[in-house]
Amino acid sequence: MQYTNPQIPEGINTSESHPLKEFFILTGGVIAIVFVSFYLLIVTVDFFADKIPFAWEQSIPLESLLETGTTDAPAYLERLTQQVAADMALPQDMQVTLHYVNSDTVNAFATLGGHMVLHRGLLEKLRSEDELVMVIAHEIAHLKYRHPISAASHSLLAMMVLSLFTSSADDILNRLMGTSGLLTLMKFSRDYEHRADAAAVDLLLGRYGHAQGAVGLFEVFKLERGGSEPLEFLNTHPLTERRIQRALDLAEKQGGLPAEQSADKKMQPLPAEFTRWLAAQAADQASDELTTH
Amino acid sequence: MVDLIIFVGLLLLGYGFGRAAEARHYKSIRKRERFLNRIPAIASRIPPYGEPNFDSQLVSGNVVISVDYFKRFIATLRNFFGGRVTSYESLLDRARREAVLRMKQEARSLGATMVFNIKFETASIHKGNGNTIGSIEVLAYGTALIPNNIEVAHTANLMR
Repeated sequence: MQYTNPQIPEGINTSESHPLKEFFILTGGVIAIVFVSFYLLIVTVDFFADKIPFAWEQSIPLESLLETGTTDAPAYLERLTQQVAADMALPQDMQVTLHYVNSDTVNAFATLGGHMVLHRGLLEKLRSEDELVMVIAHEIAHLKYRHPISAASHSLLAMMVLSLFTSSADDILNRLMGTSGLLTLMKFSRDYEHRADAAAVDLLLGRYGHAQGAVGLFEVFKLERGGSEPLEFLNTHPLTERRIQRALDLAEKQGGLPAEQSADKKMQPLPAEFTRWLAAQAADQASDELTTH
Repeated sequence: MVDLIIFVGLLLLGYGFGRAAEARHYKSIRKRERFLNRIPAIASRIPPYGEPNFDSQLVSGNVVISVDYFKRFIATLRNFFGGRVTSYESLLDRARREAVLRMKQEARSLGATMVFNIKFETASIHKGNGNTIGSIEVLAYGTALIPNNIEVAHTANLMR
């Protein structure tokens, strides 16, 4: 009788398939499932979101929407905003309320209840009235299409869906699903930006006959960013380059001038009074900081 | 964004180091298996040679291997979809074979010609620790047969 141990053949207890292949199939599967289900849910929610009466939004207390230091805007901005709002054919019951914050933040946003906030930081960067109108029209377009309430519904939905899994699923799986869910939301956010841009470009064409204000504004963003932009799918806003291109394409399609010719169109300057006021605001802010520190 | 970078970084680290370690380990396992093949390890509970000519002694081999981030990630996704958890299969395969090798190594140093009645114990030593990266432990043990005089040793060697 002989006792020997055979050499154990390989590939029975273990799999020969490459782990990376498995990785891509499984990860892709999760991302696809999350994306598709989020997409469907968001489309459903969107269907209902803009049926929510605007008056309900207006009943949200202002303090919960706006940061402290928010004040009324000067008459010039107010007048411009109301002009743009009148041109944009807002729904009957919708009113736009303009606010101003004396801070260096380069930002403007529209939020629930028809409130729109301009920061001094952004206003200072603008070089013409066209660009200012582009900012205002873009934000009013968000309001017109009820984007704030839709975006709020999306976030709420995402939180609810993901919290269902947080209790049961693994940390890694959670993170993967959270990230792909977030990226889906960002896709919708970028679509909203494109829609708002399109409406604003429309308005610029109607008002000035060309859309240089849009191009000018996006160039301001480009300067602000310092040239490098992260990957688009990781962002709530589309790439600036793409926004410029879309604005030009749209302007041409709407019967405006082709890109090459519209480039030499002069933009309306900002009133001297307004630029003086801005400078005074900046000085105010600076002296405030000196006294508080 | 930062989260995502850290996550991908951990995955890459886990994949790179985990795969290199596994390849190195398998290479070493195969080499030592060939070498220690002269000491058979059998599951039978009854010693095959005449007992009086052999001393017997307990021998054991114990090994702990850590799961890497990449393997765990794939296993987690398998929780979701079902199917063979191949990333853990190779891990356990390595641990079992390594444990047997260490056991045989001990038997060899005792001058044993065979190990019989071998058994395995497996444990995951991160139990109760939630979502941390775990490790697995495999213990192999058996009874080594050590020939107690030169003649027996010679016969035992001839028998193989």
